[in-house]
Amino acid sequence: MVGLSVGEKHFIQGGIAQDLRTDGRKRLTYRPISVETGANGSARVKMGKTEVIASVKAELGRPNSSAPDKGKVSIYIDCSPTAAPQYEGRGGEELSMELSAALRQCLLGGKTGAGAGINLSSLSIVDGKVCWDLYIDGLVINIDGNILDALGAAIKAALSNTGIPKVNVASTAPSDEQPEVDVSDEEFLQFDTTAVPVIVTLTKVGRHYIVDATSEEESEMSSAVSVSVNRQGLICGLTKRGGAGLDPSVVLDMISVGKHVSEQLMNKLDSEIAAAEATMEEE
Amino acid sequence: MAAKGGAAPATYSPSPTTFKKKRPPIFTDVDWVRPDGRDFHQCRPAFLRTGAVNAASGSAYAEFGNTKVIVSIFGPRESKKAMMYSDTGRLNCNVTYTTFATPVRGQASSDNKEISSQLHKSLEGAIMLDTFPKTTVDVFALVLESGGCDLPVVISCASLALADAGIMMFDLVAAVSVSCLGKNLVIDPVSEEENYQDGSLMITCLPSRNEVTQLTITGEWSSPKIHEAMELCLDACSKLGKIMRSCLKESASTSQE
Repeated sequence: MVGLSVGEKHFIQGGIAQDLRTDGRKRLTYRPISVETGANGSARVKMGKTEVIASVKAELGRPNSSAPDKGKVSIYIDCSPTAAPQYEGRGGEELSMELSAALRQCLLGGKTGAGAGINLSSLSIVDGKVCWDLYIDGLVINIDGNILDALGAAIKAALSNTGIPKVNVASTAPSDEQPEVDVSDEEFLQFDTTAVPVIVTLTKVGRHYIVDATSEEESEMSSAVSVSVNRQGLICGLTKRGGAGLDPSVVLDMISVGKHVSEQLMNKLDSEIAAAEATMEEE
Repeated sequence: MAAKGGAAPATYSPSPTTFKKKRPPIFTDVDWVRPDGRDFHQCRPAFLRTGAVNAASGSAYAEFGNTKVIVSIFGPRESKKAMMYSDTGRLNCNVTYTTFATPVRGQASSDNKEISSQLHKSLEGAIMLDTFPKTTVDVFALVLESGGCDLPVVISCASLALADAGIMMFDLVAAVSVSCLGKNLVIDPVSEEENYQDGSLMITCLPSRNEVTQLTITGEWSSPKIHEAMELCLDACSKLGKIMRSCLKESASTSQE
């Protein structure tokens, strides 16, 4: 991982304790974020040196028999060894799985769909027969800490420029047969991303917590809590990394700090996404 | 013959996929009775025993209502040769479901890896890994019957098994989850409640140190609700911790006799 000398470790920890991190940021300041949206349903997000891309693809499929009125979403994150050698083979698999699980938890809400960033019912076309399968793929290109937040932002950006083709269903099909559908290649419906939450990871180093940690700072962490917060300020998901235990009051404090920070991040992201889309239209 | 043929289908029980597709309206009301007649804030009775498997260095069996779990600990034993040198011990967790654990055969076998990694994350903070450098401790959990709250039961049972194996820990790990159904918070939900839940919150903690080792939240939660759910869980965890402790004491005193 990151090889740091004792002196460097002290420098990082001491800086965080004094609210002045090694790159000059305060504890709750993000690195510059840049969002680039590309072809239909894709985005690239850079947070400092961390760089990720996300793509959204939609396919027609059959809904699960247990949820006939809902579409399906699968989230898969790939950590390729080009980003760091330790992600070759099983190392990358483990991280990929952890990130995918965390994102699924943060974006898809509870079993009944409460708090879901992506409304699964909106992906249904004909109940029990046809629905959209949404495939969200993320790729980590460069790793410098805080991958989860960057991936969350990239997925939000990618979804906001995803057009779902309009589908016309032939109404004459008998009820027991697969209905005929006609996918329009001209009319697209814009995906509604107002409910998609942002993810804020608070990394605890010493007695303080910081947002948007770099790899060096992450190597000094005792634990990290990722909170996903939607526009209404409600918590849509929470996961914890790192073995060290936390006092319950610290957890609650981290949640409220995360909520506070998420507002700024949400606004920043929205304006970045809007700017990225505006530059795309100009081209 | 005809009558016999006509009567035969009536004896088949409906397959679980065809009934109760819709959420029963009672779950959305403010007042309803839980499937097993418990209060909203009442946990299922816990049955815990250590020493379920003779071949293991430590093992435990837990039964919370219909959820039945067995956990064996092997090791500490030498890490695999391919592993890099490590001056702290390794913890290897693996959770499997029996094929008959769920109402539909083999249904729950898909996300074993995820559950295993959750188990690992909840336990690693409690174990003194530096007491067994260069070696690995294997935690194998088998869910015999899935009746809701599987992961919390696996975690609690695994920490009991670790204690039985004599692995050094800071404290036992107790895990409890809460489901949010409509406006209500129900503790220790059964499968049926879990299927209709709007959100869930799971805490694993070290009861005597009052430390949270893992916390996961799904669904939509407001801050006051998180407060309430956390308090409920922590209270239940400390009670579960006491039961686990007394189970260990009991097994220690019987082995001495």
